Amino acid sequence: MGVTEQGLLERDKDTMTLNMGPQHPSTHGVFRVILEMDGEIVRSAEPDIGFLHTGIEKNAENKRYVHCIPMTDRLDYLSPPQNNLAFCLTTEKLLGVKELPARADYLRVMMCELGRIGSHLVWLGTHALDIGAMTVFLYTWREREMILDLNEIISGVRMMTSYIRIGGVAQDATPEWLDGVRKFVDYFPAKVDEYESLLTNNPIWLDRTRGIGTLTKDEAILWSMSGPILRAAGLDWDWRKKKPYSRYDEFKFDVPTQDHGDIYDRYLVRVEEMRQSREIVKQALDHLPDGPYKIEDNKISLPPRDTLHTSMEALIHHFKLVSDGVKVPKGEAYVPTEGPRGEVGFHIVSDGSNTPYRVKMRAPSFMGIPGMCQMMEGAFISDVVAIIGSVDIVMGEVDR
Amino acid sequence: MTNEEIREQINAIFESAIKHSEVTEHGDLVVHVAVDQFLMLMAYLKQNRDYDFDYLSQITGVDYLEMDPDREFRFDVVYELYSMSKDHHIQIHVGLPEEEPTLPSVYHLWRGADFPERELYDMFGIIVMDHPNMKRLLMPEDWEGHPLLKDYPLTVEEVAFSHNPDHKSELIKTPEDMKVDPWA
Repeated sequence: MGVTEQGLLERDKDTMTLNMGPQHPSTHGVFRVILEMDGEIVRSAEPDIGFLHTGIEKNAENKRYVHCIPMTDRLDYLSPPQNNLAFCLTTEKLLGVKELPARADYLRVMMCELGRIGSHLVWLGTHALDIGAMTVFLYTWREREMILDLNEIISGVRMMTSYIRIGGVAQDATPEWLDGVRKFVDYFPAKVDEYESLLTNNPIWLDRTRGIGTLTKDEAILWSMSGPILRAAGLDWDWRKKKPYSRYDEFKFDVPTQDHGDIYDRYLVRVEEMRQSREIVKQALDHLPDGPYKIEDNKISLPPRDTLHTSMEALIHHFKLVSDGVKVPKGEAYVPTEGPRGEVGFHIVSDGSNTPYRVKMRAPSFMGIPGMCQMMEGAFISDVVAIIGSVDIVMGEVDR
Repeated sequence: MTNEEIREQINAIFESAIKHSEVTEHGDLVVHVAVDQFLMLMAYLKQNRDYDFDYLSQITGVDYLEMDPDREFRFDVVYELYSMSKDHHIQIHVGLPEEEPTLPSVYHLWRGADFPERELYDMFGIIVMDHPNMKRLLMPEDWEGHPLLKDYPLTVEEVAFSHNPDHKSELIKTPEDMKVDPWA
């Protein structure tokens, strides 16, 4: 940029470069985007990521399978059970585990769906806050607190639960937890209606979200978007229905879809997903089977603690599993699952040892960023934060 | 159309370029293709109406240096493709040699390949030709080396490699080689 004789700044191009992030509060983490502005209108948007790069994929190559599970929590940190599940399902596929006890699958499903509700609550609160509706944020945090308390009861940790393990779950559900879930399930539907009463017909909300950030069905497929963004664009695509894992085929639930693919439709889809998730948790709670909460193959999951004093075999298995870990047969596998943001899966290559040879996470936020920047082109600058909020990126899984 | 039928059709059309293809015991269709016919195969998979592989789920790079040092190709690049309308799923593997690992971009077929292809370069040094914006993605722009290579140590002390005397000694990097001084 030069300076004219009068001392004024001279523009050398028709657009202005505007930097947004990485510390901008509406980028939901450390996401930077370089905007080329023509007045109020975004002409092009270039994403810049990597500020939260933690090298989890490299680290996983030097850790045992069990030790990878706490690291997967920290990828998509808003719904840790989903990452645990994707990692464990892939490892179990490599191990040749055909079926888990029904109780293990039901507990997994309940944790994942509670995680999905918690994640959508954070999304709804922050998304509304970005657009200027502050009340919703306080309401959603109130309900999320209940889910975090439930996490603490069942796993001892509020956020990074590491509850789902290879071959089952970490420990059985306590009566206290089941009571808590029952209370939450009964309490929650009225609260979703409350959020909707604040937003769904609110003229300001409609103005800010309708017809903005539109991605048609074909565009969404072309840009590899997944989850609620595909469904908001009119595609009925959900891995829980397409390739049911963890007995999702035993639950009755709908996959909500909309037609326009704009921010408002994504909002409607996610709000309805919260209701459906609550429906799944309720069904799982009503029909929770008795029985073991992990497989009984002690080469894969730890033997019950009280058998260690009486059984030599159990003691050896316990020692081998703790000191050496699970040996996973040579091969590679990928199992897609449906996370709150879209398709979550791990591509694991095993060389037959107790550490994975290569772990690659298919992160829906990572795959969604180029499409998100595509949406920004032609939008107003004030819509950029709305678009980022509607894609619901989590930087932990973008940078990994 | 079943996976077995797709496998037979692809084998018949691309003959020698298909190094290996199978339907695994889990029912996944896996195809290993030579890099010279790779782009042809990908375009065919996307444009053939019977397959309609319109969705690229992800691209994974794998460095086989430690697992099998005598492997014909050091790298494998794995593409996961789905058909949204026909419910097909295919996994394409491309082998790349240690010297000059390059492969053509599929960005013009699936826009979603933008970030994963940049990540391939960033993490493995695999050069993706014809990508519109080929530069580092996660690591800083002036970073040297490609972190997910198996001969790139996790720390500057070569913990992961020094225990193995049979390992290629020239692969062991010292801090000087790395030009990274964590205490500077």
